[in-house]
Amino acid sequence: MSFERAGLVIALPKGRMMDDAYAAFARAGFELPAARGERDLWHGDGERAVLELRGADVPTYVDLGIADVGVVGRDVLLESGRDLYEPVDLGFGACRLSLIRRPDDDRPIRRIASKYPSFTQAWLRERGLVADVVKLHGNVELAALVGLADAVVDVVQTGRTLKAAGLVEVEVLARSSARLIVNKSALKLKRALLWPLIERLRAAARTTSG
Amino acid sequence: MIPEGTRYYLPPEAAARQALVTRWRELFAGWGYAPVELPVLEVFDPEHPLAERAFKLVDKSGRVLALRAEFTTALVRMARTQALGPGPHRFQYAGRLWLRDSEVSLGRLREFEQVGVEVFGASTPRVDAELLALAHEALAAAGLEGARIEVGMPAFVADLLEATGLDAERLARLHAAIDRKNTPELAERLERYGVRGALADALLALPDLFGGREVPAAARRHAISERAQRDLDWLEEVLALLPAGLEPLFDLGMARAYDYYTGIHFRAYTPDFGLPLLGGGRYDGAGVAEAAGFALGLERVLEAAGRPARAAAPDALALDAETARRLRAEGLVVELAWTDDLDELRAYARARGIGRLVGPEGEVAP
Repeated sequence: MSFERAGLVIALPKGRMMDDAYAAFARAGFELPAARGERDLWHGDGERAVLELRGADVPTYVDLGIADVGVVGRDVLLESGRDLYEPVDLGFGACRLSLIRRPDDDRPIRRIASKYPSFTQAWLRERGLVADVVKLHGNVELAALVGLADAVVDVVQTGRTLKAAGLVEVEVLARSSARLIVNKSALKLKRALLWPLIERLRAAARTTSG
Repeated sequence: MIPEGTRYYLPPEAAARQALVTRWRELFAGWGYAPVELPVLEVFDPEHPLAERAFKLVDKSGRVLALRAEFTTALVRMARTQALGPGPHRFQYAGRLWLRDSEVSLGRLREFEQVGVEVFGASTPRVDAELLALAHEALAAAGLEGARIEVGMPAFVADLLEATGLDAERLARLHAAIDRKNTPELAERLERYGVRGALADALLALPDLFGGREVPAAARRHAISERAQRDLDWLEEVLALLPAGLEPLFDLGMARAYDYYTGIHFRAYTPDFGLPLLGGGRYDGAGVAEAAGFALGLERVLEAAGRPARAAAPDALALDAETARRLRAEGLVVELAWTDDLDELRAYARARGIGRLVGPEGEVAP
């Protein structure tokens, strides 16, 4: 099935957050086209289309206007540096981006490893610190444990993984949760479609967060 | 190999670029905008709004130069240093710009072309309305009748933000939240900074103040300072002066460069194309006491308008120079044969789609 531009194109990250996003849209009274099969890259009914993407690609698709809206963690959004509207905090996927080190290590930081190199670089600049930033793609804690880096910047949800690894969360650099992001021109040109959706998602997010 | 973010423009596309630039320049000339040309090399100025993003070079005396990164600042410099005579002045320009760090993807080249206009020496709603009307015509000239111009009033945002009396850093954070329509964060920060009451309500309303003609009226409720009232009066005056057929969109929360634009700010969008096609506004006092203008992004407009069809083939292939001259005098596009080998010429004409082969004795069978 070839991709035809639907009235509304929604970019969602694969996995857990995708399920949460489907639930959040449903609570807001906005049914998304059902996911067809494992191997389908997108799901649609002509009116609405859902693109199934890697999280980090969601801001790209929305910024460049291929998708009108997307759902993505604020951590990914901060790293992307993309110029987008983020009108709704959907509440789920809560986590924090933290500076993590070995216990009792208070030497100056010379090298930081992270899956979030741009965010880390910006934080260093803001603090007036100078350190090399090494981009890693997974198991970032290991970099601190084995001495690849003096510190790592990574996502922390409960902190249990860190504790088990014998590392400490030194500082919370940013708090994250899932956000609705909207392409700038789409919000203006498809206002009649998007504004009610935003209002209902906001209302639904308020109810669920109590 | 050519650097990232630069590109070649081959015949059909290059022709479309030139044709559009010519159409725009003739349109602007018809409205009394006189062309100016500006140096591509500028003396690097750390105060330049795009200082960090500009390409820098060092000349033989060790002085740092920058490649032109934006036209408005360059025109303002020109206006400040050159004797222009009595105003108001209407200028138009077209040319290349360079930015070091543009994301190399659709419509975000590092080398790109802008065509635009500036009005110096007059600051009235009439001038703003003229610029909006001209922008509207420029989009139509590019075949983008479906494009919508969106008007904001950064001064309105600035006046509300200043009314909080917060320090620059906090204002910047509030502004960033407004700019991204991040209402949850805006609410949380207003609470944390102790901004309450009608002012907090007004600021919280900003991200949602967008849409059609109803928006300026809805904004009245939140114009809690005299300056904010005056900003809206100005906007209403501009709207009353717009020509029929120009129905702008509004976003009173749009305030990207709110410390730069002192009045209106506008952009244009077209369906299914994610980036703004033009940008402009009023920036009184940013170097020139009274100044406003806009610039169109050539690459973006052409991308939004769709790629040109195949290059048009010449009308005829002439076998000799005299025939070519005669046909050209009739207004035809004529290529001259480079050989007497008729078979080769016929094959070439077929491949290029050239319909006529003409010699001194008249038409030759193709």
